[in-house]
Amino acid sequence: MRILIYAAATALKSLWHEKWINLLAVLSISIGLLIISAFLTISQNLDSVLKRWSKDFGLIVYLNEGLNRETEDILRDFFQHDSDLASVKYISKDQALQDLRKIMGKQSLALEVFENNPLPASFELTLKRELLNPVLVERKAAEIRHLTGVEDVQYGEKWLSSLSTLANTMKVSAIFLGSAIFIAIAFITYSTIKIFFYRRKDEIETLKLLGATRTFIRLPFLLEGLLIGLLASIVSSLGLFGIYSLIMNKISEFLPSINIIMTPLPIKTYFPAILAGTFMSFIGSIIAVGKIRY
Amino acid sequence: MIHFTSVSKFYDTDIVLKDISLTINKGELAFVTGPSGVGKTTLLKLIYCAERPDEGEIVVAGWDLKKIKQSAIPFLRRNVGIVFQDFRLLANKTVSENVALALRIHDMHPHEIKEHVSEVLKEVKLKHKESTYPYHLSGGEQQRVVIARAMVSKPAVLLADEPTGNLDTETSETIMNLFKEINARGTTVLIATHNDALFHGTGRRVIYLKEAQIEREVVG
Ligand SMILES: Nc1ncnc2c1ncn2[C@@H]1O[C@H](COP(=O)(O)OP(=O)(O)OP(=O)(O)O)[C@@H](O)[C@H]1O
Ligand SMILES: [Mg+2]
Repeated sequence: MRILIYAAATALKSLWHEKWINLLAVLSISIGLLIISAFLTISQNLDSVLKRWSKDFGLIVYLNEGLNRETEDILRDFFQHDSDLASVKYISKDQALQDLRKIMGKQSLALEVFENNPLPASFELTLKRELLNPVLVERKAAEIRHLTGVEDVQYGEKWLSSLSTLANTMKVSAIFLGSAIFIAIAFITYSTIKIFFYRRKDEIETLKLLGATRTFIRLPFLLEGLLIGLLASIVSSLGLFGIYSLIMNKISEFLPSINIIMTPLPIKTYFPAILAGTFMSFIGSIIAVGKIRY
Repeated sequence: MIHFTSVSKFYDTDIVLKDISLTINKGELAFVTGPSGVGKTTLLKLIYCAERPDEGEIVVAGWDLKKIKQSAIPFLRRNVGIVFQDFRLLANKTVSENVALALRIHDMHPHEIKEHVSEVLKEVKLKHKESTYPYHLSGGEQQRVVIARAMVSKPAVLLADEPTGNLDTETSETIMNLFKEINARGTTVLIATHNDALFHGTGRRVIYLKEAQIEREVVG
């Protein structure tokens, strides 16, 4: 316990004594953590947009003209038993016409030129959320298109695929970038602590000769590495919070709906990120101190 | 307390110590002497495990240095106070902090440390310099700080390497008296020196080294 207090005091002293090198390390690490958190925030927001939008995402299955009741029932039955689908809604020709009238309002008089109702009957299907990726949706649409009585299947394929590709790209690059940054964090702390270690080489040699244990010698350096990581986490948290609030304020001035789309600060993902950052910093200092031989 | 059995030490191919057998008993005060470069410092280093013998066996305060584990070396050294030939004082710590370090390592309570340090600094007559940094001290004063640090933990063995290196006769005498006092309290003391005046007329054992071997033993 006393050894820990002494080590902490030594680490704090060194942190202050070498404040410029330490500041440099802390700032570099916080920038790394900020980049990671920016990626996390953007990809989280994309996810949330994707989810919100896909809630209303549906396949519209247009039926052949003059389809008999029986075939329609078979189709409905088929859809209702399909475990991939979240909901099935039948829209008759009459219903479709009414809906269109409602949408067109006064202009709906134009529809009177048609002798018969020109609109097809249709099913509106929504897919279960976990199946909402471009490949599966396309496969599903192709499957349905082949059923008897189906004229055509429509869905917002372009939107879906580009948005989800973007989100996936963000996720993959976040993983790569994140790993690179975490390694860089370990390296930054490694070099910082290594410098201190070499500067105090004589002192360490003397401590060894006086009977200091490995722990006694190592602990101040390890604590200093940990402190560098912790400080960087705090700095980057403050930075992220500042930048985020600024963006939210500025954008919501002329685009109020941004509040609906943008998620609040992704604390849940950010917290593990800074913990990992601190941990990597600690690892860096462990490697820097290395094995102590007598 | 210190036993050497047929110990040899090489630096690369140069033989520094050859077939040394030697026993220093508990409570003894003895001298090792010989010309510069004969291997006095090396002999002391073997005792506190800063060098390992190439042949032979060494036992210090019950520790068999042939079998000692890396992790046990700090605990061996806590039984051995060392007055280094090159002092090894930490420049960024004051006199009392330098002395206290030897006790910090032992995980002693800060209050006790303060007491012990203050006491030992009085003994070496440096109490008034406790807040001074080593580079503001004279050679003799630095030497006394090193001795204070070596004795503060009350080790079983005290090794002193050239403790009067470049001091005048009077200061040398003061320091020699310190060692006698420490020895009188039961600490085994081994002093390496080429200063004959240090052991003349002491009536203590003097071990002469010559060409890597023990040439003779006399009473000083
Ligand atoms: N680490 C080392 N590597 C190689 N040679 C060494 C090493 N240390 C000492 N020597 C050599 O071993 C010999 C004995 O050195 P040592 O320091 O033990 O002598 P000494 O008797 O203490 O001399 P002095 O009275 O000058 O202090 C010297 O020739 C020295 O050059
Ligand atoms: Mg020497």
